[in-house]
Formats: sequence, structure tokens, C-alpha cells
Amino acid sequence: MPKSVIPIGPYHPLQEEPEFFTLTVDGETVVDIDVQVGYNHRGIEKLSERRTFDQSTFVIERICGICSTSHPFAYTRAVEDIIPVEVPERAKYIRTIIAEGERIHSHLLWLGLAGHFLGYNTLYMWVWKLREEILDVMEILSGNRNNYAMFKPGGVRRDIKSEDIPLVIKKIDSIVPTLDRLKKAILDDPVLHARLKGIGILTREDAIDYGALGPTSRASGVAKDVRKDAPYGAYDKVEWDMIVTETGDVFEKVIVRVLEVYESIKIMKTCLLNLPEGEIDLNIKDIPPGEGIGSAEAPRGETFHYVRSDGTNRPARHKVRAPTFMNLPTFKVTVIGETISDATIILAAIDPCYCCTERMAVRNTKGKKIYHGQDLIRLSQEKTEHIKRKMGIK
Amino acid sequence: MKLPKIRELLEAIKALIVGPYTSKFPYKPHIPHPNFRGQPIYNPDKCVGCLACEEVCPSEAIGHEDITDDSEPRRLMIHYTDTCIFCGSCEAACIADNEGIKQSNDWELSFFDRKEAQETIEKELQLCEICGEVIACKDHLKWISEKIGELAYSSPSLYFSRLKSLGIIDENIISAVRDSGRSDRVKILCARCRRETTLTTR
Ligand code: SF4
Ligand code: SF4
Repeated sequence: MPKSVIPIGPYHPLQEEPEFFTLTVDGETVVDIDVQVGYNHRGIEKLSERRTFDQSTFVIERICGICSTSHPFAYTRAVEDIIPVEVPERAKYIRTIIAEGERIHSHLLWLGLAGHFLGYNTLYMWVWKLREEILDVMEILSGNRNNYAMFKPGGVRRDIKSEDIPLVIKKIDSIVPTLDRLKKAILDDPVLHARLKGIGILTREDAIDYGALGPTSRASGVAKDVRKDAPYGAYDKVEWDMIVTETGDVFEKVIVRVLEVYESIKIMKTCLLNLPEGEIDLNIKDIPPGEGIGSAEAPRGETFHYVRSDGTNRPARHKVRAPTFMNLPTFKVTVIGETISDATIILAAIDPCYCCTERMAVRNTKGKKIYHGQDLIRLSQEKTEHIKRKMGIK
Repeated sequence: MKLPKIRELLEAIKALIVGPYTSKFPYKPHIPHPNFRGQPIYNPDKCVGCLACEEVCPSEAIGHEDITDDSEPRRLMIHYTDTCIFCGSCEAACIADNEGIKQSNDWELSFFDRKEAQETIEKELQLCEICGEVIACKDHLKWISEKIGELAYSSPSLYFSRLKSLGIIDENIISAVRDSGRSDRVKILCARCRRETTLTTR
């Protein structure tokens, strides 16, 4: 049977971001997959190198609308690594609170989208309604629902007022019963079990080989989490568990994310209740020449930043590596062998974020000729000439 | 199979009674939490026109324009609300006790014409009395002399600005001082003219 190729994208109503998948299918089964990204390249690293260290945080924050804390977190840690300094305790706690709030809303957002892909639109609306609560919490804590503008090299920009804490805790607590119901609705639903169990399996070995990160690797039994492996912020000061499951199919990826929301709620609450007193900012004036690295566990896995300073007030080099960069290649093992109808949810299961990933775009056309507008006109004119010649018209 | 359905049915009935979760905006105004960081607004009484906010703004949402060609030299501080990202850096950097520009609770910023998406305040400018070059805003010079106390008396530009603003001296006294030798130095001058008058022996 001849194989067919299904192109998805680069601009597709199903996808929020431009990316291009080429699925080669044999009947219903996917036999090969190719992903092209780079449609959303914005030159963020260069932009960041044109701003001062302090201003860069705002550009970095806008790498991704969802991980708008993870990137600044990794970036500020990289800058602090150059000096090197430790930020004040209170700043560490506030950073942790914001980062966990982001994880909750990011996982809920993904859960809603996953429901939508599967045709569970009620789940979609229900989860996003729940997410509003946490966005309100973020608005109270940081002043914004997204792009919190909280981080700066050396600390945080805004303190958490003690009078806001009871309201925030009440709001966080109020999402737990709904989350419980949601968890049960997912776990008891036989259709979801039938639909998600055993598809898109990423084995433990493959997860290690591909260097998968975050929930993608933890669902495959690889206990990898920067928050535990190299604790930063206040993660070593609060009690929490890393969620690791065994099989690595899409269902487990859902479970890992749902359970991680509970852990994040736990971390957030503990930090809010034990917020130490003190300074929130070191007021760093100069960054000496040198290099620094910083990482943070984003909702999708480890975000990594490298910053080099030449002693001026701007980064001389800034490199960003987003988690999706590592998770994307796992499609090669998860999608191949599955049916086309399962491909969407498997592709979505790593919670991909393409705009985070697009640091550089290289087009390898493998010797294929690219026709520009002028070439097409020339070809068209040549064809007319050719027909004229055949018909004997001068 | 039945239990989940009953649970979801309860949720659906609840939603029927409570009504939609979404707000009625724009029919009902949305009032954000007081902690919300909205559009920054200038306070013309507090701002001294120092341009620190323009310097720190990461999205170049603050600009200024110096108008010196009429009888009232003034500086327009311009805040472009369309490019502002509400980060609050301007407020944090403001030298006037963070009160020259303050983030408000306002978030409704739609315009039909992009040119309207800006807010301006005017600050009086001090020009050099010799060459007409912009020195700083009058309030800024006052701010500096208040900040450095009696040290301000080492610079005629500073102490004249200060004394003038207090109403202690007026033009007549200044011209009287000027007549008693080296009158070229007893003026409000820009840095270049001050250097020139100091170095020349006239
Ligand atoms: S809030 Fe931020 S972006 Fe807006 S004017 Fe102030 S510094 Fe510029
Ligand atoms: S006083 Fe404040 S608001 Fe006014 S120009 Fe200076 S920094 Fe900006």
C-alpha cells in the first residue's frame, strides 16, 4: 500500500502556535513524523543583549506567556551566578510562590486543552474556570494575571503584603474541592481510560536517551526535577513530593500533571504561611565580567539560561534553552506506530511550547530548489513560450 | 459509570442556577483588585522631569519633547500607553519618592487612533542664560539643591534656582549682583557655558 503524507500546519486552526508536522501514514498508522519549527522566531536573545540586565527580565518574561516566571527565574539565577550572590530568604520564598502559582495555572491550562482535543469540551470549560481562580490569586500577589514582573536580578520587585495572605490562602483552598472532583472525573471515566491508556508510550529508556524533561520524563519513571536535584528558591525548605509514575503513556502524563497541581498548592501554602521577614532585594549595582548559568523547573521541564557579562550593564551573550527543545524529539518514538486520531493528543501530551523553543531557525532544503515569485513568473512565461513553439506560433 | 455522571449532573445543575461564570463586561465595568498594576499616570505636581523613568523603561514607552522656541520653554513628558507593559520600573526608579509617576488601577486602554494612545504632562524648563541650551527642568534643579543642602551654594545655577523658587530673590537683585564684577558667572548656566566663563579671564 502506498504511503501518504499528511501535512499539519504551519498555520492550523487546531494549533495555537505556528509549527509544521509532516505525518507519513500507512493506512491509519503513522510510520514517520517530521517537525519543523522556526515560524515564530523573534530574536529574543539579541533583544535581551540590547537591554540592561534589569530590563532584560521583561523581555525574557515574554518568551512564553505561560512560563512567564520560569524564564526570568532561570535568567536572574544566571545573573546572580556571575557575581555570585545569594538572594535574601524572603525573596526566595516569594519567587517560589510565584513559580508554583504559574505551575498550577499552566497545568490546568494544559488539562483543559487536552480535554478539548479529546472532545471533552465540558472538562475544558470547567478546568479553565478553575484556572481563573489561580489567575486572580496571581493578580493579588503580583498585580498581573500573567507576565508578573516580579523578578529582578538580586531579588523581587514587589513584596507580598501580609494582609493579602489570608485571602490568597482562602482562594487557593477553594480550588481544592473542585480539583478533587476533577481528578475523580478523570480517573473514573472509562472512556478516558480507553482513549489514553497505552497510547504514546515513552519508555524509561527512551526518556533517558532523548533527555526528556519535566512531567514528560517523570511520567516515564525518570525522577528528574531541578527543584529536587539542585534545589533553588525555597524548594529545599518545604515538604513536597516529586510525582513519578511508571508507564509513560498519555494517561500517566495527565495524572502526573494533576497530582503536581496538588503539590504546587502545598508548596505555595507552606511558603505563604512561613514567609520569613526581611529584605526582598539586594539592589545589585554592578555585574562584574564573567559567565553564569541558571536553571529553573518550568511546568514543562527544566529551563536553562546562560549569561555572559563583559562588565558593562548589558549581557554580552544570553542563551536560552527551553524544555520543549528536549521534549520535542520524543515524538519520534511516541507517535510512530499510533493511529492518526491519537497523534493529536500524543503531540499535545508533552505540553509543547514552540515559541519558547524557537531560538534559531535553520532551513535545510536538502538541495531542493526554492521558487520565489519571480521564478514562478519566469516558469509561467517559459511554459507559454513552449506551447507557442509546439503550436508553431511565432 | 453512573456515579461520575451523577457528579457531573450536579455540577451542571449548579451552573444552571448560578449562571455564567464570565463577567458582564462591557455592560458592567470590571474593577480589578487594588493590587493590580495598571497604567502608570504622571503626577505633574510631584514629577520633576528628570527623565529617570524614560531611562529605565524597558519598552521605550516613555519619551519627552523639549519645546524651547517660544516664551515658555517647557518639557513634555510623554507616556505611550500602547507600548507600555505595566512593569512598574518607572515608578520604582522615580526620584520624586516614587510619586512622579504611579501605576493606577486603570486597564481600559483601547483607542481607535493609535496617536491618541499617549498621555502628557508639561514641566517648566530652565534654559542657559547665555546659549539657551536646556539645563534641566526648574523643579529638577530645585530638587537637586534641596537634596544636597548648603552644598548648592557652590553653584550659582543651583542656588539661584532655589532662591528664585522660594521668592527670596527676583530679577532685580540678580542684576544688582551682576554689576559688581564677574557678572557673567552670576547666572544660571549650562555646564559648557559655566566652564567657559570660569576659564576665561574677562
Ligand atoms: S510601566 Fe514599565 S513599560 Fe510602562 S512606562 Fe513604566 S517602565 Fe515603561
Ligand atoms: S520625577 Fe519621576 S516621573 Fe518625573 S521624570 Fe523623574 S522619574 Fe519620571
